[in-house]
Amino acid sequence: MYSEMNNADGLRPEYHAVAEWIEQVGPQVLMERRGEAEALFRRVGITFAVYGEGGDPDRLIPFDIVPRVFSAREWARIEQGSIQRTKALNAFLTDIYTEGAILKDGIVPEAEVRNNKAYAPIMEGMRPPGGIFSHVTGVDLVRCGQDEFYVLEDNCRTPSGISYVLENREVMLRMFPQLFADGLIRPVDTYADMLATAMEEVAPPHCDRDPRLAILTPGHFNSAYYEHSFLADQMGIDLVEGQDLFVEDGRLWMRTIRGPSRVDVLYRRIDDAFLDPKAFRPDSMLGVPGLMEIYKQGGVTIVNAPGAGVADDKSIYIHVPEMIRYYLGEEAILPNVPTYRCADPDQCAHVLANIGDLVVKEVHGSGGYGMIIGPAATDAECAAYAKRIEADPAGFIAQPTLKLSTAPTLSESGLVERHVDLRPYVISGKRTRLIPGGLTRVALREGSLVVNSSQGGGVKDTWVLSR
Amino acid sequence: MLSRVAGGLFWMSRYVERAETVARLLDAGRRINAIPSSPEVRAAEWASIIVASGCRETFPKPLEEADQRSVAQHLIFDESNPSSIRMCLYQARTNARAMRTAVTADAWEAINESWIAMRAKAPEHITGGEFAPFLDWAKGQAQKFRGAIDDTLLRDSGYNFTRLGQYVERADATARLLDVKYHVLLPADAEVGGVVDEGQWVQILRAAGALRAYRHVYRASVTPDRVVHYLVLNGMCPRSLRYCSAMVLRQLDELRTRLGQSHAAHTRAGEMFARLQDLEIAEVFTDGLHEFLTGRIEENNRLAVDIAAGYGFGPAEAALQEQLQED
Repeated sequence: MYSEMNNADGLRPEYHAVAEWIEQVGPQVLMERRGEAEALFRRVGITFAVYGEGGDPDRLIPFDIVPRVFSAREWARIEQGSIQRTKALNAFLTDIYTEGAILKDGIVPEAEVRNNKAYAPIMEGMRPPGGIFSHVTGVDLVRCGQDEFYVLEDNCRTPSGISYVLENREVMLRMFPQLFADGLIRPVDTYADMLATAMEEVAPPHCDRDPRLAILTPGHFNSAYYEHSFLADQMGIDLVEGQDLFVEDGRLWMRTIRGPSRVDVLYRRIDDAFLDPKAFRPDSMLGVPGLMEIYKQGGVTIVNAPGAGVADDKSIYIHVPEMIRYYLGEEAILPNVPTYRCADPDQCAHVLANIGDLVVKEVHGSGGYGMIIGPAATDAECAAYAKRIEADPAGFIAQPTLKLSTAPTLSESGLVERHVDLRPYVISGKRTRLIPGGLTRVALREGSLVVNSSQGGGVKDTWVLSR
Repeated sequence: MLSRVAGGLFWMSRYVERAETVARLLDAGRRINAIPSSPEVRAAEWASIIVASGCRETFPKPLEEADQRSVAQHLIFDESNPSSIRMCLYQARTNARAMRTAVTADAWEAINESWIAMRAKAPEHITGGEFAPFLDWAKGQAQKFRGAIDDTLLRDSGYNFTRLGQYVERADATARLLDVKYHVLLPADAEVGGVVDEGQWVQILRAAGALRAYRHVYRASVTPDRVVHYLVLNGMCPRSLRYCSAMVLRQLDELRTRLGQSHAAHTRAGEMFARLQDLEIAEVFTDGLHEFLTGRIEENNRLAVDIAAGYGFGPAEAALQEQLQED
């Protein structure tokens, strides 16, 4: 098990500042400060909404006060690897919706793409401005050793969580300014600018003025609403709902107190299916009728593009290293987790025989639901899950149970080691880049490997050191 | 500014103002309740608070059974009453949350904290000696919110809509508060203009937070004429109908300048203000005070509809507000 703070000889150098700070302040005071941090989050309203489960619908994601640290050298690799991967994913998306070269060359099976639920036939023949489908890409990483990073999955639809990255830092800056005094920790507050710039860069080609940007939210009952409003606020752009928008004369307009006002680039935080009742789900009340038609004509740019989700499906995931070779002529800097496809009979047999040692997931699942962690499951649970695999082998993939790295985390009994992962957010416009940081999620239960907030996960501030 | 956002700001302010009004009405009830009286009159006093608050239809008991406990429960905690303090703060906070980018952090935190504190309160927390402090607390929350708005909000259209909501609602509130006196019965042995009658007028002034200001302005004893003059026609009183009308007109004028557009609301608001400016106190009583106040409340409602229509938050906005209440 890799501990991010300590190696066999003691403390790793990048954690010196954190260790010193904990030593000085003491766990008791830290516990008290954690309470203050929570009160701060609640006062500002940084909650995510969970409906239908009873209790307080406005929940806080638990915030762990001990930061997670990356050295400049470690980060350089994560940064290059995430950018490389995102470039390949965008090249892949543009390719499959236009020429389909990678399919014709037999690198990725055509059926796996065209039959994928997230594949959007309406996008065929469409090349979005700049060849970018996934303008905001979340690359979920885990670590198993000093230089051993794996990509767990990609998120090309509308990855959420960036508001926690920025707010976690705000809270730490406010509560512990002394930690940031020597300027060693790289700031993350350039995110909003970076995203706005990228959005301007992908404006429709014949946009004849400074592009007007907006964020489309399903509304304030959505669990990620805080993030939508936070981003709109940070970027200084309008936060719109479907009912605020309409299509006319090949353009997108919002209803304002002055009358209609044109929107050029729309960062939508609703799923493809709800975007346009004329093109997708006819019962959607959240979208804008006719949006897809003017999008395809170049009247507006949608961020992220519809149909981008096909690239982050688990069945496509296994092909990403080949995509990187195919489009960029490079080897993947950040490798995939070795993955068995149950669709293949031999691999399926291996999975069924070794289910107790593996993590098995639904191909189209997400959020940590519908998976089984073999070593943590009972024999009966494994047997029941095996039956599900046998019934629909193509619906499952399996991976070895990774020994995720652990980071120091504050608990009632003092400092403990808990498993963590990392989601950097890669932004693609004319350039592909990311802020030095990301969302560190931590499994707060002892021994747990599931970091999803819906399953008892928390978050940490993530530091990237400047040297 | 999005029409939906303008509507959200307008309603956010209205609900905060309404929470304060309900607290003030209850305060009036509490004070009138302390004037010696008979049991039937006592019930009528509490019933008058329900009627004046416009909650007659949602009040779950026959009006003659109204008492402090049931009235406080309905006007403070009842979730089926959209005008209860709890629901007003909930709706104000929900609107603020939905319009999060249009309000400042200070204003949002003020209303969010109010809601969090209100949610934790229960009827048993505000019995006996805790009742009056609770009403003060509720008024204080509204004042804190308005202070945050006034101190931090950008002076753009959003500010105008916030203020519009506040003064449209306040005009309604003042009319209703005065109307309490119409519904309160005088004990059989008390005379109009007698000690009890005057005591009730004094309590109306107190509930409007205006007793000392009244004495300062009129330097005379409390008479119905003067109380009504103060709360209807006196342009110095920040809760008078005339002052509210002037403030509404000012916001609409500013919006006209900013946006270069004029709507039916501008005409109506102008007429309403002109009439209040020319009105003599005797005219208020010509057809009866109650009838006069009812007329102002209806007119004010029509103005609110005109404002919503002019700035595009009409029917859709009404539907949204309904949806908020159902949640």
